Amino acid sequence: MSVWLRRARPLLGTLVEIGVPQEAAAEDALQAAFAAVRRVQACMSRFELDSDVARFAALPSGASMEVESETAVVLQSAWALQQASGGLFDITLGRAPDGWRCEGRSLHKQAAAAAFDLGGIAKGYAVDSAVQTLQRLGCTAGWVNAGGDLRAFGAVLLPVLLRDEDSGGVHPFMQLGDAAFSTSRFGVHCRSQVWAAGGRGVDAHVSVAAPSCLWADALTKVVAASGDAQHPLLQEHRARAWLH
Amino acid sequence: MPAMRMALYPSAALIALAPAGALAVDYMTAEQAQKLMFPQADAFEPRDLPVDAALAQQLAAAGVKPAAPRLQVRLARQGGAVLGFVVVDEVIGKFERITYAVGVEADGRVRQVEVLSYRESHGHEIRLPAWRRQFVGKTAASPLQVGEDIANISGATLSCTHVTEGVRRNVVWLDLLRRSGRLS
Repeated sequence: MSVWLRRARPLLGTLVEIGVPQEAAAEDALQAAFAAVRRVQACMSRFELDSDVARFAALPSGASMEVESETAVVLQSAWALQQASGGLFDITLGRAPDGWRCEGRSLHKQAAAAAFDLGGIAKGYAVDSAVQTLQRLGCTAGWVNAGGDLRAFGAVLLPVLLRDEDSGGVHPFMQLGDAAFSTSRFGVHCRSQVWAAGGRGVDAHVSVAAPSCLWADALTKVVAASGDAQHPLLQEHRARAWLH
Repeated sequence: MPAMRMALYPSAALIALAPAGALAVDYMTAEQAQKLMFPQADAFEPRDLPVDAALAQQLAAAGVKPAAPRLQVRLARQGGAVLGFVVVDEVIGKFERITYAVGVEADGRVRQVEVLSYRESHGHEIRLPAWRRQFVGKTAASPLQVGEDIANISGATLSCTHVTEGVRRNVVWLDLLRRSGRLS
């Protein structure tokens, strides 16, 4: 039975918890993983003045800017999902779905209204980045949980609990290994209701399990906006969804 | 990439109707946190400062309401010189109670924030004094084993707004005390 080293810090507007086996370099690996999460926050938060997202919002229409490679990965994934989902996934939240292009690290603004909210995808990416950092630094197992966007790897089967949003408390839901899991609540009074604004959307919790957390995170929005827990894109990403 | 492993708990629908459980995680003690934040410190000196009328007025002017009649801080020292400060605080959200430590540099900048413990439960339990008492004086210590004590909440709104606000509050009063020479 392994002994785990666990740490939690307030990042990405939530609590980020990381756990790894207590081994020689565990502390260094944890610090590096938290640094990776902070870097995603610095690049992609709307609330950090120097972030790529904040700079893009202030960019005049017709201008281009260079973004960090991490931001470019997220933007290109978002663009691919926007195309594949027929516009259900849209990081401009309806402001200007076609008002931007990202080629390599060059980001071009084509409409004055174009601005991003990466809340639907960047947290998942941050979790993936932290996991990759842990693995690169030799951790054989572990997990990263960014307030409900989580991923486990190696020889650990992680019990996942769902919080009761109305009365508090938690319910056991599943055990997860070598996979990512995301839950979002959609409906009135939720910030994420913008994703379900099309009318077909759900008023429920949506959970998605997928091999990577970026896709688990992003696909909850596709399921919410389509109301379809069997959406074809899930299978394409080897993911599975639950409405609850 | 290895294949995903997923085991749903049997009859998830039934479980969802069962009474919800609580969850508690202890990450580290205040002593572990201060060492992690100031590894080069050779002493941590606790200071307990009463909030007198003058200080209360200064805090109010800075938009901060002290959570307690006394302010407690540990001074991290190396060879007598002050390296920085550590404050342990607790915030309560709708369904969670978070104890955290904030490390502040000698010049007032936040160095690090570490969560010491996390309690998730029903909202009403969090506000019941009896429920709170069971944690008084409890210090987390041993690393946790894989098993029932490891659990990851996947809810929606797990916000750290309260922690962020708490950090800001502590930085403001630390700054006031530091500038008035009461933290040397």
